[in-house]
Amino acid sequence: MIHRRQLRSTATAASFLAPWLVGLLLLVVYPFVASLLWSFTSYDMLSPPRPVGGVNYTRLAEELWTGQRFGLAVWNTLYFAALSVPLSITLGILLAVMLSWNVRGRAVYRTLFFLPSVVPAVASSILWLWLLNPQSGLVNYLLSLIGLPGPGWFNSTAEAAWVPGWFSGRGGFGSKDALVLMSLWGVGNFMIIYLAAIADIPQSLYEAAELDGAGRLRRFWHITLPMLSPVIFFNLVMGLIHAVQAFTQVYIVSEGSGAPAGSTLVLSLYIFLAAFKYLEMGYASAVAWTLLVITMVVTLMLFRSSRRWVYYQGARR
Amino acid sequence: MKGRGVPIAIVLLLVVAAVATALADRSSTRWRVPEGRSEVVFWHFWGGKDRPVVEAIAERFNASQDKFFVRPIAMPGNNLDLKFFLSVAGEDPPDVVNQDDPIVADWAQRGAITPLDELATADEIEQLSGWLFPAAREVGSYQGRLYALCNGLDIRALYYNARVLEEHGLSPPRTLAELDAAALAIAPPAPSGPHERFGYLPDPRRIWSWGIVFGGRFYDPETERVTADDERIVAALDWMASYSRTYGADQVARFRKGDQALPGASFPLFEGRYAMIMDGQWRVAEIAAVQAVARARGDEPPRYGVVPLPPPSKGVANAGWVNGNFFVVPRGAKNPRGAWEFMKYWSGAMGNEASAARACSAGGWIPASQSVVDHPVFQEHLRRLPLFATFVELAASPRQVPTPAVPGAQYLQDEVIRAADDAIYKLVPAREALSAATQRAQERIEAAREAR
Repeated sequence: MIHRRQLRSTATAASFLAPWLVGLLLLVVYPFVASLLWSFTSYDMLSPPRPVGGVNYTRLAEELWTGQRFGLAVWNTLYFAALSVPLSITLGILLAVMLSWNVRGRAVYRTLFFLPSVVPAVASSILWLWLLNPQSGLVNYLLSLIGLPGPGWFNSTAEAAWVPGWFSGRGGFGSKDALVLMSLWGVGNFMIIYLAAIADIPQSLYEAAELDGAGRLRRFWHITLPMLSPVIFFNLVMGLIHAVQAFTQVYIVSEGSGAPAGSTLVLSLYIFLAAFKYLEMGYASAVAWTLLVITMVVTLMLFRSSRRWVYYQGARR
Repeated sequence: MKGRGVPIAIVLLLVVAAVATALADRSSTRWRVPEGRSEVVFWHFWGGKDRPVVEAIAERFNASQDKFFVRPIAMPGNNLDLKFFLSVAGEDPPDVVNQDDPIVADWAQRGAITPLDELATADEIEQLSGWLFPAAREVGSYQGRLYALCNGLDIRALYYNARVLEEHGLSPPRTLAELDAAALAIAPPAPSGPHERFGYLPDPRRIWSWGIVFGGRFYDPETERVTADDERIVAALDWMASYSRTYGADQVARFRKGDQALPGASFPLFEGRYAMIMDGQWRVAEIAAVQAVARARGDEPPRYGVVPLPPPSKGVANAGWVNGNFFVVPRGAKNPRGAWEFMKYWSGAMGNEASAARACSAGGWIPASQSVVDHPVFQEHLRRLPLFATFVELAASPRQVPTPAVPGAQYLQDEVIRAADDAIYKLVPAREALSAATQRAQERIEAAREAR
């Protein structure tokens, strides 16, 4: 008897789960496995895939070695991620700390800073294209008022954070720096998580520190930051995955080409072009898998390092 | 409060549903297939002010018909290729598609489109090949077979601001040396501060035009080799990059990128940011509009002119890169007969010159055949917009060369532009940039050729 009832409840559960399971199998598991298989083929969607062994991967290795196409895309992606993730984490924490202070109109400020992250990516990208237009944009106009030369932004291949470039006359802010700036505008998503975490820090810790004579900075450094570290870690991992997959804004600002001179050709755009513009499904699959491996390796490294700097209140030390 | 929310939500839902139904109904009555006629599903990429022009052509065709009924569907231009491919792979393609990317060879090679000789009679095909302009024929052919029917060509030439040239005592350039001299006279290289106006600045995309004007060819069909590193193309790119060396790559970049895409009154020639600029025939109508606005305000209308691309001393006159709009019929289309009728009606083939002349005048397109140009309706259009004549004359020239019809042509085209990007914005030596592009494109073309 019990047997049958159990069976029935399992069946009921399965039938409720079925739509989701079917979706998972068809839309996630199947493409996942298929793309791995396709990465060892030459495939253009119309003719059946032809096995070519590891050719796609050797092509990737070659391009990585020469720094062309795929190599350029890897560089652009890493450059963008390496700047946008730490900057948005820092900015997010600073904003959250300031917005946790008891000032008048706090709710208004919180809304204002969060607002940009609900603006659709396409709309905000076009807005930034106008703001950062080197000829007629507002940003360069404001810079000119204080006598500063406006950078070329989306029109320039310069890389501000690439120090050797400063000495070869190719310094200044270029297209990728503009993308980083754009990503900082959407920092509200991070900020809101920090705000919640800050509200969760026990006041007693601050009071005890104050009694011991700790100033604002010390309290921030020795209490706020360690208590936020699990959230920082979460944002670091999510932000990194997000940055490595950046597509919409890049597609919009470069009109889908990675212009100028391939300086905004990031990996996901590169995959898109290879697959859907040049019909190289096999090669695009290989790039996608390489992207997955890169993301996994970096994430694992972050998890490894987290043991040293992330503090969990509930965990046994 | 809680109780009131639900009725409000229901009312809102009803309103949304009513509006949606009304909208859906309106569009469906316009393109509802009449009894006894078969539907022809037509995908195109025209939006904005072009879309009503296209829909009017479809309506005129439908009015002229008792067998077929065309339903036009506007697709965003960027993803038309992708959607087309997915529809063919998914075996539910439209009946006819209009495109302007160099994809005929790729699609033909993979059997995604139907060769025209399967739709038309042998007589019609024979008639067509003599009827089309050489460039229009080439745009639609792959391995000597017609796969696409061109309905309009895009030709580029050099526009100039007559007043600015006169101010500097210059006449419109006839040679490359004159173009350089004029550009320098109008905007002398100045170390202090950015320029407000340039005489001329080359756009990387235009390597395809200048390469041909310099006498080069990007592909050799005999040897099946990419020849983008041809000496003459290297010379063309090196000349283009000379502007970056004169003014500084960063200056050129910030001025140049995306300029040509600017529509209507924001076109930089109208804003006075350039004295000379290379662009296509579609600017002729915009010039007329800008002049009309000035006249309506009581100002003296600005004067613009156009000349063929000025060649260097050993270059080719009246030359350039040409592309076109063309119709293709996907494999597996349900109504290829209807598609073929509509294609003839719009392009003007087989005695349809009158409808084509009307379509080309309305859309600002260059006809695919001299006999459409000669039609009184189009001649009237030329009288109204005299600047258009230069483009029409160029269209007939065999020196207007399209992107080579090889599988992987889109990759070749983009790769050469990327090489020009590198040379102009990063000052990579022209030969180096083009050699690398040639090698990569050759590899891709060989790989694409294996696909069946």
